[in-house]
Amino acid sequence: MRRRRADAELDEEVRGYVEMLAEEKIRNGIDAQEARREAKMEVGGVEQVKEQTREIRAGHFLETLWQDLRYGARMLRKNPGFTIVAVLTLALGIGANTAIFSMVDWATLRMPPVAKPEQVASLIAEDTYGGWDDGFSYPDFADIRSQSTAVFSDVAGAIIFAQDGLSADGNNEPIWTNYVTGNFFQTIGVKPALGSLIQPLPGNSADDESVLVLGYAYWKEHFGGDPRVIGKSVLINGHPVAIIGVAPAGFHGITSLLDTQGYLPLGMAAVTSDATKDFLTNRKASTGLTIITRLKPGVALTSAQPVLKVIGQRLSAQYPSTDKWKNLMAFALSPTGPVDDPQSDSIVKVISALFLILAGLVLILACLNVANLLLARAFGRQREMAVRAAVGGARSRLVRQLLTESLLLALLGCVAGIALGSVASRFMGSINIHMTIPLILDFQFDWRVFAYAFGVAALTALLVGITPALRATRGDLNNLLHENARTATAGSFRGRSALVIAQVGGSLMLLIVAGLFVRSLWNAEHANLGFDPSNVVNFTVDPHQAGYNEAQSREFLKTLLPRVSALPGAETAALAATVPMGGIHYGAELKIDGYQPSPGEDVHAGYNAVSPRYFETLRIPLLGGRVFLDSDNEKSPRVAVINEAMAEKYWHGEDPIGRNFALADNPQNPIEVVGEVKNSRASHVAGPINPYLYFPLTQKYDYQESVTLQLRTHLPLATANREVLGAIHSLAPVMPVLEIQTMTEALDTINGLLLYQFGAALAASLGILGLALAVVGVYGVVSYGASQRTHEIGIRMALGAQPAQVLTMIFRQGIFIVSSGLVAGILAAAAIARLVGNFLSGVSPVDPLTYISASLLLAVIALLACYIPARRAMKVDPMVALRYE
Amino acid sequence: MTREQTELLQGTLDMLILKSLALGEMHGLGISRRIEQITRGTFQVKPGSLFPALHRMEEEGWLEASWGESENNRRAKYYRLTKAGKRQLETETQRWGRISLAIERALEA
Repeated sequence: MRRRRADAELDEEVRGYVEMLAEEKIRNGIDAQEARREAKMEVGGVEQVKEQTREIRAGHFLETLWQDLRYGARMLRKNPGFTIVAVLTLALGIGANTAIFSMVDWATLRMPPVAKPEQVASLIAEDTYGGWDDGFSYPDFADIRSQSTAVFSDVAGAIIFAQDGLSADGNNEPIWTNYVTGNFFQTIGVKPALGSLIQPLPGNSADDESVLVLGYAYWKEHFGGDPRVIGKSVLINGHPVAIIGVAPAGFHGITSLLDTQGYLPLGMAAVTSDATKDFLTNRKASTGLTIITRLKPGVALTSAQPVLKVIGQRLSAQYPSTDKWKNLMAFALSPTGPVDDPQSDSIVKVISALFLILAGLVLILACLNVANLLLARAFGRQREMAVRAAVGGARSRLVRQLLTESLLLALLGCVAGIALGSVASRFMGSINIHMTIPLILDFQFDWRVFAYAFGVAALTALLVGITPALRATRGDLNNLLHENARTATAGSFRGRSALVIAQVGGSLMLLIVAGLFVRSLWNAEHANLGFDPSNVVNFTVDPHQAGYNEAQSREFLKTLLPRVSALPGAETAALAATVPMGGIHYGAELKIDGYQPSPGEDVHAGYNAVSPRYFETLRIPLLGGRVFLDSDNEKSPRVAVINEAMAEKYWHGEDPIGRNFALADNPQNPIEVVGEVKNSRASHVAGPINPYLYFPLTQKYDYQESVTLQLRTHLPLATANREVLGAIHSLAPVMPVLEIQTMTEALDTINGLLLYQFGAALAASLGILGLALAVVGVYGVVSYGASQRTHEIGIRMALGAQPAQVLTMIFRQGIFIVSSGLVAGILAAAAIARLVGNFLSGVSPVDPLTYISASLLLAVIALLACYIPARRAMKVDPMVALRYE
Repeated sequence: MTREQTELLQGTLDMLILKSLALGEMHGLGISRRIEQITRGTFQVKPGSLFPALHRMEEEGWLEASWGESENNRRAKYYRLTKAGKRQLETETQRWGRISLAIERALEA
């Protein structure tokens, strides 16, 4: 843009020259045509002149750049101490930013490697309750597919994240699979690494070929990357399938956060699992199909929306009992996969923004330190610069040279920062999420992270370099040569103090945010969960993965529980479909006798299916009625135990025992409330507790689901493991145990404490970094100030000032800087607190305790940093000081 | 052409341009004519060396340029000295004074 303009101007300038020359000749009496010819001859080719000028300009630029780089490198080599401190400081700042950006990249930017991802979108229905539904039945999928050919070139479906068991060569291992329509891979445009992928067949019937495509990582890990797996026959949940191919490396399925380990044809869902037996025909199916579409070339997502809206309206009018949709829409594919809830997506973005801001603040603190160092040097170099300016160095030229020097520093800092950042993000990637889900915590550095790091470094160079460069080149030679060192730097001190005040403020803001996160974690860890997680060990099994059918599963669990309960050292044991804070949660729509829902209200409760001694095992107190008995079984009347919140909401505090309700999808079978228990937390340690209920495992249990055996015991963990695994394998030698952990560990999940721990650790690291940088800054400026006043201190002491007075004098300066910084920091923290508030549990974003203790911590450490130079000043020998110059 | 010669010639041209702009701003042709005039026709600067020199000196920060109207109502680019350019002229003048004195003495000896 700028170049084009410069070129046009050059053209006009040279042509103007020719014209003026011709006019001059005309005035001298030469004929107009002849004058033009002569003028052109004299100039010797407009294009040639332009070319020569352009070359000079470009050559000049490169030459000075090279000169500046060489000069800068020489200056940095000459002061190795300064260079090392500055580079390390910048590396800390840039490293923190790179590490955090690599997580943001992972969570929000890294798209699954599908062809033309901008054309790929997933569908969501907004239901009549205002919720979002991203799981469709197969008949819905077929209707949508056939009715939307105007805007989509293809529509595919997938049951994402089914938990199956794969048995090969006598080993049975869990595998996370997708059941996909035949056109799935074709729709997203993915090619196999090996063999072939699932192919489109006419329709998706239950007679689909029994084939399996392995995920790349699973193939490497479980089959050693052996290409001979193609054609191998293995069992999925006991059903034989042939491996036909391997998905490409780096493709984890339609999301980049979770690793899909295997892909099966959709029709097989009816075979491998009874839950999806009638999946292909049942519009009411509870298992949802994620719908992935590819827009026709040239069709925008916005023009697909009205088409979908019409389809949605048509289907909900046609099938009012199942398709309760207000609207049907498409969302562009996001790196986290198909959007399941448009709101949760934005939360990730807010968290990302928050931590990028905090990391940016750390970088600014680092920059201020380096700017401060450079500024100190700038005054030293003012004379050098003034002399150079006096011999014809233009100021812009000198500024450019000094900026090149800081750019060099920033680049060195950037390289070191990338190294630090990659160590940090590898460390963050190694955290234990305490869940069996194949979460990919791979914060690898891709081109975006590198681009970000270099962008940050360039900005850093400007931020760090511009003020010192302008200061260094401002000097007027005459004044400077007549000033002595002391007076020349007096003005500098004010500027540097201002920088340090900003630093103390920024650091306090980081500390306060860190304090809020730590307090919030403490609250979360000490929150009353309503159950007692200590001394409980969880063992998760999924009999259907070993090929068990429903009857076999029930029999296995029925035999297992008494055996485990009878183990020496076992206090109580229970079975449960889900674990508090775990990855799986169930919920159901209800119809409650005598409860009139307001229009559009979702009468809903979360639920768990448990064995009789569950409440005793987790120590959830019974408030009224009874818990389950062994006599509550498949044949007896259906019963439920509810929590306080459910009694409060649906029976308005009246005694709920003996009342009836039903599941909305099964209104003919009433369920009687037989007991009420205290509220306990099933997921999320903070926020309101919602209506929740418990069914007997024998009555509401789908044998496809995993079940967790929970054992309360004082036995050492290793002993308990050995005993329980022995009991399981004596009953079922090939039964895979998906997960073994204590209930306390099981709280540290994404639904439990993990995010609080992660947030607190991250915020605390940034806070500590900020504190260290600010302390270095305060120390630097106060000791510099003290050394500049050595002469003055000497005079004062010679005139009889006491050491204590000198101490106070130096200290006063420190106190001024620190207290101004504290005020700035508190105001800044209160401003950002609104953003932080959403992620805190049980602590106000303007919590006075946090603000006061962070301020005190910073004040004490910063004043200690002042004490060292103040003490040194106090010990000044007046004679030495007076001679000092 | 050896390096020393280029630098000497370039330095001379730079000095002449600086000198011709010392009295006020001027466009390219004006500078050419002015150099001819003050050197009594000894130096005739062709656009092929004039424009590269002007642009280089602008980059160096010695000259500033802006567009204005020429005597015949034509848009033309006018150059003027910056502070750094004035200082450069002083240094160059002194340096030239020393060199020419030295050479004169050398030749007279």
